[in-house]
Amino acid sequence: MFLRLVADSFTRRPRRKIISMAALAMGMGVATAALSVSLDVGDRLAREFRSLGANLLVTPLADSLPLEIGGVDYRPANAGAYLPEADLGKLKTIFWRFNIMAFAPILEVPVQASAARNDLGLEIPGNFTLIGTWSDTNVPIPDGTTYETGIAKTNPWWHVEGKWFDDQLQQCVVGAGFAKRFRLRRGDQLKVVGASGGRVAAGLPLEIVGILSTGGPEDDAIVAPLAVAQRLAQRPDVYRRLYVSALTKPEDAFARKDPKTMTPAEYDTWYCTPYISSIALQIGEELKGTDVRVIRRVAEGEGNVLSRVRLLLWLVTGAALLAAALAVGASAAASVIERRTEIGLMKALGANSGLVGVLLAAEQLLLAIVGGSIGFAAGILLARILGQRIFGFAPEPRLFVLLIVLGLAAIITLLGSAYPLRQASRYDPAPILRGE
Amino acid sequence: MPSPMFWRIVRRLITANYGRLFVVLVALGAGAAVTSALLNLQIDAKKRLTTEFRALGANVIVAPRAGNSESGAGSTLDASLFAQLPALYESKPVPAVAFLYVIGQVAKAGQIHFEPAVLAGIEGLGLTQIRPGRRTAYRSELENAPDACEVGVKAAAQFKVAAGDSLQLKNQGREASCKVFAVVATGGAEDTQIFINLKTAQQLADLPGRLSLIQLSVNATPDSVNSFIASLGQQLPAADVHGIKQFAEAEGRIYSRISGLLSSTVLLVLFLTSLCVMAGMSNVAVERKNDVGLMKAIGGSVERVVDLFLTEAILLGIAGGLVGSALGILVSIWLGKAVFGVAAQPRLIVYPVSVALTVLVSIAAAFPLRRLARVRPASVFRGEE
Repeated sequence: MFLRLVADSFTRRPRRKIISMAALAMGMGVATAALSVSLDVGDRLAREFRSLGANLLVTPLADSLPLEIGGVDYRPANAGAYLPEADLGKLKTIFWRFNIMAFAPILEVPVQASAARNDLGLEIPGNFTLIGTWSDTNVPIPDGTTYETGIAKTNPWWHVEGKWFDDQLQQCVVGAGFAKRFRLRRGDQLKVVGASGGRVAAGLPLEIVGILSTGGPEDDAIVAPLAVAQRLAQRPDVYRRLYVSALTKPEDAFARKDPKTMTPAEYDTWYCTPYISSIALQIGEELKGTDVRVIRRVAEGEGNVLSRVRLLLWLVTGAALLAAALAVGASAAASVIERRTEIGLMKALGANSGLVGVLLAAEQLLLAIVGGSIGFAAGILLARILGQRIFGFAPEPRLFVLLIVLGLAAIITLLGSAYPLRQASRYDPAPILRGE
Repeated sequence: MPSPMFWRIVRRLITANYGRLFVVLVALGAGAAVTSALLNLQIDAKKRLTTEFRALGANVIVAPRAGNSESGAGSTLDASLFAQLPALYESKPVPAVAFLYVIGQVAKAGQIHFEPAVLAGIEGLGLTQIRPGRRTAYRSELENAPDACEVGVKAAAQFKVAAGDSLQLKNQGREASCKVFAVVATGGAEDTQIFINLKTAQQLADLPGRLSLIQLSVNATPDSVNSFIASLGQQLPAADVHGIKQFAEAEGRIYSRISGLLSSTVLLVLFLTSLCVMAGMSNVAVERKNDVGLMKAIGGSVERVVDLFLTEAILLGIAGGLVGSALGILVSIWLGKAVFGVAAQPRLIVYPVSVALTVLVSIAAAFPLRRLARVRPASVFRGEE
């Protein structure tokens, strides 16, 4: 009889049940979407922040003091120390290798240049900097695989009109300011000669394949493959600076402690947490003879904003959950209020308040489980759409979220109907049946 | 013109069932509260995030026009430009620092072995905002001396100096000295530089009244920074004013993500609110069949009946919206403090917008009442469902 009553209440007035089920399903859908997005979005946001550029700078340890002004090193080309290019694959063998998102070595060479278009010569007076780097190269890793990286990944704000040079070919991109000043276009031939010594007598011909705009000093430079710069500098297989872009955990009070003063247990925790300082240490352990420095403005700016945005995200999730809970609770409450007459009749027929309460609660629970499941499915869909539109990725469905959502649905529907149920169980049947 | 009778009926409709009134008002109020809190936070987040992004340092550079001479250290600006910079933008101060770079010979006091290093002559306020970094040593009592200097961490290691030591500086026969008050680590080119007084650098370089460049940190949204750059560029035709793209792009992208997240949450919450109210209203529709039948039987037109219910919905929406939105703004002040450490400023525009949204939601949620227009008095009186 009990089950029949419950079943009847669903089949007799499907329309009313459908509306409260819809409210429940929608509420739970929003809860699912909010939870799925914010569970997955933390990593995603940290990746987003890598568009700020490299956060670690590797330079030779035993270097003479660089004379760098506005991105140009005024040291003579033969001064200072270099680092071996062949070691770079070791970056992907450190403890936090998967957090190394991209890296790019830099070798700058002062050059003199001339250009040609359709065999028509163009003089380019003055000394310029040629920045040798990787645009997009496959770096051999000691474990036998390769890793694809380059400056286009470390510095995503570098826009190239045309295309990036091929690391294997004699091609280059020129800065927008440089191109404008000398009226250079894509397809022009550039001939560069190392400015100091200039032992490459004939000069190296480079095809301009793109115009680079960065908003920095590179706008007035030539950017070419690292191999070209090495030939111009007559320094095979070396580089001078390495930019590393690593996914990190924002620094907290613990991370700011000096590792030298830590207890062994603390040191282990610090070493095994992707703080920027511990990743810097690990890179220094792999690449011998280097000085790994944290680019403070990037690391700190990122840390500040990331921790705030994460907090904001959870708050928004909380707000969505709250709204969902209210919607569900309110529809549960409304559905009980509507059934005064029915409750009156049941009581008149001899049901006690407890039985009426249990009956209605069972109905609500059934509604919660069915509505919650439908809501979960809808929420996964919603999370995909939202994730795709806002963050460009789709969060994976998680069983854990389903459990939370069903639990939440049950608790909220019961809570939402508790007060009206209590009221209902106190109703005096007589006036209700009289229609008062 | 609605008659007093009309209002009396509306009053009765609203107060007919206190339980339901409570549910509907709570739903509308909560929806309004969340909406106004998130909208207010959204406006505030933009401002706060731009402030946070200033941790990235200078975002606007005033440099000599390329082409006057060779690129790099060769060309300079007139120092009078520095005085022409606006002190305020959007009523916030604009930190600006003028730099003059000289490659000089440097040695620790008492040593005779000199080595080349970049000397950056600086003048202006807000160096820490322009050039964010961490000071590894700092002696504030030495900072205000005219010959005080700050040394990058790599340069400090090279010359083996710490705070309190003195450095001798030379350039083409001109000499100066300075006393180190801090050692700074930025992870950039600044680590290898020595920051001295602008006048000293000008004297060493024999370039009185000249600057290499000016760096500014404009605390505004990327779009607003662009208009700042455009207007400053017009004001200073002799110089090349440009923004640092590296951070502006990332900032724009991250803000649009957050903004999208907040807007979609607001939409979802409004949708939920309307569903919730709709659930209540559809019950109302069933319950009021008899009333509507009676109204029609004694000559009430369909429009009149619909007007009644619309008025009811609008009144409920206004009540829920007024109270809820006010609460939401209060909540957002507190949320702003929790997230950004600074209480969010309540924006007046948010209040009417979120009240209006709530009223719209409550009208949309009254949709089930439309069914009442189809009620036929005769069948109601016969007791047919």
